[in-house]
Amino acid sequence: MSTTATTPAPNRSTHASRRYVTDTLLLTARSLRSIPRVPERLLDVTIQPIIFILLFLYVFGSAIHVAGISYKDYLFPGIIGQSLAFGIIGAGVATSNDMAEGVVDRFRSLPISRLSIISGQVMGQFCEALLGMVITVGVGLALGWNPHLTFGHGIELLALMLLGILAFTWTGVLFGMLVRSPDAMQGMGFIIILPLTFMAGTFVPIAGLDAVPRAIAEWDPISALVAAVRGLTQGYPSSGSWQLDHPEIAMALWCLLLLAVTVPLALRRFNRTLAS
Amino acid sequence: MRSDSAATPAIEAHGLTKRFGDFTAVQELDLQVDTGTVVSLLGPNGAGKTTMVRMLATLLRPDAGEARIGGHDVVREADRVRRVISLTGQFAALDKNLTAAENLRLMARLRGHSRGAARTITDGLIERFDIAEIRDRLVKNLSGGERRRVDLAAGLIDKPQLLVLDEPTTGLDPRSRQVVWSTIRELVAEGVTLLLTTQYLDEADALADRVVLIDHGQEIAGGTPAQLKAQVGEQRVDIVAVDGAELERLAEVLSVQFTTTVAREQRTVSVPAPQEAADLSRVVQLLRDSGVAVDEVALRRPTLDDAFLALTGHGVSDESDGGEHSEETMPKEGIAR
Repeated sequence: MSTTATTPAPNRSTHASRRYVTDTLLLTARSLRSIPRVPERLLDVTIQPIIFILLFLYVFGSAIHVAGISYKDYLFPGIIGQSLAFGIIGAGVATSNDMAEGVVDRFRSLPISRLSIISGQVMGQFCEALLGMVITVGVGLALGWNPHLTFGHGIELLALMLLGILAFTWTGVLFGMLVRSPDAMQGMGFIIILPLTFMAGTFVPIAGLDAVPRAIAEWDPISALVAAVRGLTQGYPSSGSWQLDHPEIAMALWCLLLLAVTVPLALRRFNRTLAS
Repeated sequence: MRSDSAATPAIEAHGLTKRFGDFTAVQELDLQVDTGTVVSLLGPNGAGKTTMVRMLATLLRPDAGEARIGGHDVVREADRVRRVISLTGQFAALDKNLTAAENLRLMARLRGHSRGAARTITDGLIERFDIAEIRDRLVKNLSGGERRRVDLAAGLIDKPQLLVLDEPTTGLDPRSRQVVWSTIRELVAEGVTLLLTTQYLDEADALADRVVLIDHGQEIAGGTPAQLKAQVGEQRVDIVAVDGAELERLAEVLSVQFTTTVAREQRTVSVPAPQEAADLSRVVQLLRDSGVAVDEVALRRPTLDDAFLALTGHGVSDESDGGEHSEETMPKEGIAR
């Protein structure tokens, strides 16, 4: 009929679930492939923690004394908790960038399930956040952070961290679809998330804060992350509120709550989103 | 091969309506595109073209009305519609961090082809669209015209029953536009059914069998390009006099051979020029023989502006299409053929 080099579409009725997995993996690979090509995006999620590490370890740290623990060992769990929360910004910026491009539209006009498009997005962002976390922890260890992990605590920490990255990635993907531009996402991160990461016992103990910031810090979800990492790696107890007395359970609950809220909202939003 | 589907129109839309808040982007629009034909939706930015094609491509849900693509309802049978339609959007729908070839392979894999088949398809498309020299370059480093060609190629991975091109040449330089046009012509020669949106009358004229002129989400005229242009008016030569006094002499000289229309404020005499260059040289000859001094002589073709002026009484407005990417809208002057 013609000289087209195209071939007829293959039968797509093969198992829907297998197609879902294949399509999700293809779209995840697409996200991952852009990491080495846009290295500045990875820098975004690693340079900030590194700057905080250097600032607090070598500048402010000299004036901060925490009883019963070296400041270095106090600081690094805080940095890890903060980096987890910053994952929202990274995933949000990347998602809103993607939404502004026509490529998501093309995916949506293909005969693939929409769930696989958003799954690929989340998995790609998840891997990127994980890589950023590995780099941050690596910098910490190189600078002399000394975590004392038993095997059991190590598994628990790993599981909590993976759950945390997943929850914050989904949240970031949702925000990335809601905001109008990557810049708006950056701005939101700076105004809302950055202060919350400071009022979480991240850099200084909560006990010394004034009444109002202390009340916020005691119930700030990021406090639970920081306290959980600090408890597991240093055996250093936190206290002041229920969530600080039981930081591992609180962190898991916060993450599950976040997932329960953001996953359905993100799916709904994605189906209705106009992209551009 | 097409005979079985010839009875079912490629696109059949009735009363399609889409509102965004208070703004009605598309209002009760009907559209029929028969299999094997090329139909162009022609209108300015903000006319509702993109909204219309996004509804047809299942990316937007209509607020009212219904549409069938190859007999499949765009709302109830969206998945089947997505199998027969291929949409190439206004802004290249490619991953800019992948190379041209990686983009094509990804799209082929997502359409269900095996790894090997995807590679074969990609190689075929690269040869066909003459993009071998850019195959391994990242899309973000390609020029607008190069991207558009890769984009077109990505839309043709499985020979679609219906190809929808949303402003395929907006923002392209004249040379790239020629390349895209010739690619589209080849597809049309192969019998692809095509719905094309454009802001350029000359583009609709060059490529479409039938043109639907839309404005504010409504159809304001429709027909073959020839019928539409006849409604708009013919091409003409405009001669601008050096001053008011010379204008009288100018009109007198030209009226020997032409029917003249005088626009006093613009110091311009217009004469019809159905034979283009031949009429232009007759005008120049008359001017030379009579020795009348003029500021400017120009051959004017009917433009989209003229069409809108003639059919709606207002010029092409500058609203952007639903506020999308207006910074990327291109100058509206037609490009000489």
